Amino acid sequence: MHRGGRVRGSGGMSPRLFWSVASLEARTHLSYRFNFWLNALVGFLVELAIAWFLWDAVFRVAEEPTIGGRDFDGTLVYYLAVILLAKLVRGREFEGAVSHDIYEGGLNRYLVFPAPYVPFKLAQRLGSMLAPGIAQMVLFGAFAAVFFRVPEAMRPTAASALGALAAVAMASLLYFLMDAAIHMVAFWADNVWSLDVAKWFVASLLGGYMLPLSVFPDWAQRPLELLPFRFFFDFPARVLVREIGPGEWALGMALCAFWCLVCAGICRWIWRRGQLTYTGIGI
Amino acid sequence: MRRYLRLYAHFIRFSFSKAMEFRVDFFFRVGMDVFWYAIHLAFFTVLFAHIGLLGGWTFDQVLVFAAAMFFVDAVQMTVFSNNMWWLPFLVNRGDVDYYLVRPVNTLFFLSLREFAANSFLNLLLAMGILVWAVARYPDPVSAGRVALFVGLLLAGAVLHYVMTMIFIIPVFWLQSRTGLREVGWNVSRFGSRPHTIFTGWMRRIIMSVLPFAFVPSVPCAAHLESPIAAFLLHTAAVVACAFAVMLALWHAALKSYTSASS
Repeated sequence: MHRGGRVRGSGGMSPRLFWSVASLEARTHLSYRFNFWLNALVGFLVELAIAWFLWDAVFRVAEEPTIGGRDFDGTLVYYLAVILLAKLVRGREFEGAVSHDIYEGGLNRYLVFPAPYVPFKLAQRLGSMLAPGIAQMVLFGAFAAVFFRVPEAMRPTAASALGALAAVAMASLLYFLMDAAIHMVAFWADNVWSLDVAKWFVASLLGGYMLPLSVFPDWAQRPLELLPFRFFFDFPARVLVREIGPGEWALGMALCAFWCLVCAGICRWIWRRGQLTYTGIGI
Repeated sequence: MRRYLRLYAHFIRFSFSKAMEFRVDFFFRVGMDVFWYAIHLAFFTVLFAHIGLLGGWTFDQVLVFAAAMFFVDAVQMTVFSNNMWWLPFLVNRGDVDYYLVRPVNTLFFLSLREFAANSFLNLLLAMGILVWAVARYPDPVSAGRVALFVGLLLAGAVLHYVMTMIFIIPVFWLQSRTGLREVGWNVSRFGSRPHTIFTGWMRRIIMSVLPFAFVPSVPCAAHLESPIAAFLLHTAAVVACAFAVMLALWHAALKSYTSASS
């Protein structure tokens, strides 16, 4: 759809409107309670069980008492932190996705809304994941705290929880911007689902979700530090379990902010070009 | 039987012509699966930098396992996945009616009508990786054993379909968006690791009630370890039981199907 004048894609949005969109989305998502909690509980237990048995098998035959700087208990606590914090970083993927709006012609209504599109989608995403994510973190975290032995050095403090909260907020923004950029490829491609899934595969390995990044070989450590993926899972989890000091935290946050700017720039660039090809009729 | 084979050939032909209309998606899908293969190979490679055995299996054996997992997944994605995806929508919209009135078995039609031609290239790729992993395996393996291995893997793919259906069929009663599909997807992840890492009650569960160990870990064990007869009998019993449960659920579901959309 070719439109005259300025199109509001990623400009400013009033905080009041932002939070009212987020709140509406949160109420919508909490209405399907049975399915949501069943899936959340089974997903959590399966992930934890697989991690437990995998690392139990690894430590049974390992020659060293620690791998990647952690013993068996420490590794499980790392996984626990990653699994729980990821709920606030990933959200519900493909829910209210940008690509759906493009394919189904639903973008039309956003283009005439007196609010910019990208922050609007960010508010929707926050609303869909914030309340359920926090509820899961508290409930599952409390459950796990009963059954897991958390080493003294890894016990979260108020300061580490605050630092992790900030890291999760930044990670969530980065994840959203990367998602949005990928979904906007839908302006040209007939299906971007595969791209989104491929991004998750890469992020899960290079972000520390499948394996703690510290178990990767030495030659891979520097590239892993510089790439944006570690900020999704590894960085917030390590901040929470006090493996990252204030100096490293500040440096990490600065690098994550840099990647957010890069992704926002890419989003803006794709959005501007994509609109010129958008027809508004859906497929 | 010939009628059904002819019908399936038509499904495949339609799917290929449809896939050719969405060429970009075709290549994206290939790329996605290449990433998935690479990620899993990297995962096991990094783990084996710290250990010599995982659940009693060497790196070469785990490579065969990973390749078998790619193969079963590719079969699943090509033959069943699209159909499983659409089934809850058809039930919720009352569209199963159109399939009930056709002179073809409804379960056959709904399970196999969409052949994912855009995943077919990935199936060839996965087969290539499987051949490579088996060929580089250091111990000699007879041709008969390889044939049996492929047969067990195909049985594993069928079992995966059956288990997925068992989790989707409750949509007839729950009227939720996807039934228990996500729950099924979550528990199916037990199949993504060698079953030998699981011990005690967990091992018993994944070898019986939630038999994801047969997709594809047990076929690998049958291929790499002796004796094979016990694996064959166990696999046959599990697949037969799961299939019977799925059929019973399916018939009960059709009886309670009201056609009313929600």
